[in-house]
Amino acid sequence: MSIAVFLESYNGELIKASKEAVAVGKTIAEKTGKSLFGIVLDDNVDNVISAAGQIGVDTIKAASGVSLYHPTMYSRFIVNAGKDADYIILPATVWGSEIAPQVTVKLDATPVSDIIGVEDANTFKRSLHGNKIHGTVKAEGKMIITVRAGVFDVPAENVVTPNVETISPETMDSDSIMKLAEILASSTGTIELTEADIIVSGGRGMGGPDQFNIIEDLAEVMTAAVGASRAAVDAGWREHSDQVGQTGKFVSPKLYIAAGISGAIQHLAGMSSSEIIVAINKDEEAPIFKIADYGLVGDLFEVVPKLTEAIKKVKGL
Amino acid sequence: MKIVCLLKVVPDTETRFQINSDSTDVVWDASIDYIMNPYDEYAVEEAIKIKESIGADVITVTIGKGEEEKSIRKAMAMGVDEGILIENPDLVNSDPLSIAKAYAEVVKPLGADIIFCGKIETDTSESFVGPAVAALLNMPVITEISGLEVSESGIVATRDASGRKEKFESSYPVVLTAEKGLNEPRYPKLPMIMKAKKKPLAKKDDAGTVIRTSVKQIKAELPPSKGAGKKLEGSIDDIVGQLVDGLQNKDKMI
Ligand SMILES: Cc1cc2nc3c(=O)[nH]c(=O)nc-3n(C[C@H](O)[C@H](O)[C@H](O)COP(=O)(O)OP(=O)(O)OC[C@H]3O[C@@H](n4cnc5c(N)ncnc54)[C@H](O)[C@@H]3O)c2cc1C
Ligand SMILES: Nc1ncnc2c1ncn2[C@@H]1O[C@H](COP(=O)(O)O)[C@@H](O)[C@H]1O
Repeated sequence: MSIAVFLESYNGELIKASKEAVAVGKTIAEKTGKSLFGIVLDDNVDNVISAAGQIGVDTIKAASGVSLYHPTMYSRFIVNAGKDADYIILPATVWGSEIAPQVTVKLDATPVSDIIGVEDANTFKRSLHGNKIHGTVKAEGKMIITVRAGVFDVPAENVVTPNVETISPETMDSDSIMKLAEILASSTGTIELTEADIIVSGGRGMGGPDQFNIIEDLAEVMTAAVGASRAAVDAGWREHSDQVGQTGKFVSPKLYIAAGISGAIQHLAGMSSSEIIVAINKDEEAPIFKIADYGLVGDLFEVVPKLTEAIKKVKGL
Repeated sequence: MKIVCLLKVVPDTETRFQINSDSTDVVWDASIDYIMNPYDEYAVEEAIKIKESIGADVITVTIGKGEEEKSIRKAMAMGVDEGILIENPDLVNSDPLSIAKAYAEVVKPLGADIIFCGKIETDTSESFVGPAVAALLNMPVITEISGLEVSESGIVATRDASGRKEKFESSYPVVLTAEKGLNEPRYPKLPMIMKAKKKPLAKKDDAGTVIRTSVKQIKAELPPSKGAGKKLEGSIDDIVGQLVDGLQNKDKMI
């Protein structure tokens, strides 16, 4: 009996959220004494297998030559590879959240979605009501677990050479009813919010789309992702995919810097679990200051560029 | 064309919850206002837009416990033609797979070309129902879409996945889940609000499926509080200096 972890990757790159899912798998393995194996589907499996070996995944079931994502095909493969496992763990990414319910149905298993903590082998923490409440759930039976990105620490380095069992992926009929037609852009050129250790976000206080360049400059020197409040997104200043909050992304980076964001309850829902929060706002009554580890009252157009310069200096840039 | 929207009703996103006396759940009392799940608004709006462009019957299906009619009438005021409401608290409190099975049972005979869901609901945040219903009904699913084109023969949908832009094609029937950015939900106008009151809403108390609770909530608590915020004092140069010093030397962030 075992624990399977779907090692989501793209173009041979193992994503960080998968490593966090491995961390959850390892915690359950310690609590149950069960062994853990990874499931890989990629065009370039060797790269993914070696990345998984870096964090101690010693057994892998892999299908190579998978160049296009198809949720039904991925689900079938994970069902085949994981049908005897007691746990199948996936990152709660777009792909993972799309696949997990299909795997749950096929195996008539128990879904435990989007967990943020492991209490014991069948008790998990979840974030409810826009992170205003933390719930503890007890589950029974074979579990299909998805793991919220950015919450668990990536496992420490522990290099092993994994044993690899190669499985041929089930091919879908060429006239399959649904297909991934195209990757329109393989990367938006920016750091993905849910994968970032540092996020710099701007809100309505930015005043317009062009002014976001000072946020981008700060993000660049800090190797950070850029986020936004809904007000900035709805004004058309930033992409929807940049929105942090209850109807945007849930993030919990090590450092979250909010500039010109008041701290509405729906924004806090998406970022209040960040480790360190910095707020820059000219209104000292802004609710964001209630949760800020560092509150800077002042005009962001003065503070942000000065902060960028100061960080450049300490980093020797 | 027939479109079924799975419509979930959730507490208003402004709600401040209290924990109940045995710390197993929040207090569900009359102080809570209920709204259509924000993501379901995008799904309903998109369905109405399809109805306006190529013609469609739009039906909502809801599983609830008695707080749902106002939100269903709102969807009707946006343009939904009819609704089905299954009122069953046990079903609402069952596990997500049981809920999905109940949906599949109710939706199956409707013969939908498109089943629309929200990408997630803002209360229990499972992101489960859409893809599960698709698997139960053997339909393909594309989640978290932010762009959609429909034609007689099928759909083309785009979405953002982990920083990539992906484009999918599908024939009918298909399950789609809506992400913010897909459209701007309309505000219902008064004549539509009046009309909505008379649209058919079928109420049932059961879907005839087995209700399991393989996942049970045993505890509810407030998240660990971040503690009172701290404001830095001094001139702009001073506070920037204190911040950088703290991030570098205390928190080891830079
Ligand atoms: C159903 C629903 C879902 C929602 N989901 C989300 C969500 O996911 N994410 C989200 O963010 N919001 C969400 N909201 C919206 C939320 O309620 C707020 O309206 C929004 O977060 C406000 O954004 P903001 O802080 O940028 O703007 P504001 O509240 O207008 O705040 C702007 C702040 O900038 C400050 N400021 C202005 N100029 C300067 C300057 N020069 N220097 C320094 N500070 C300055 C002001 O003092 C003010 O505090 C949702 C709302 C609803 C109803
Ligand atoms: N009880 C419910 N009633 C109606 N629709 C639901 C219900 N639960 C989930 N859904 C649908 O499934 C979507 C995702 O919900 P969830 O999987 O619970 O996060 C929602 O946006 C709805 O479209």
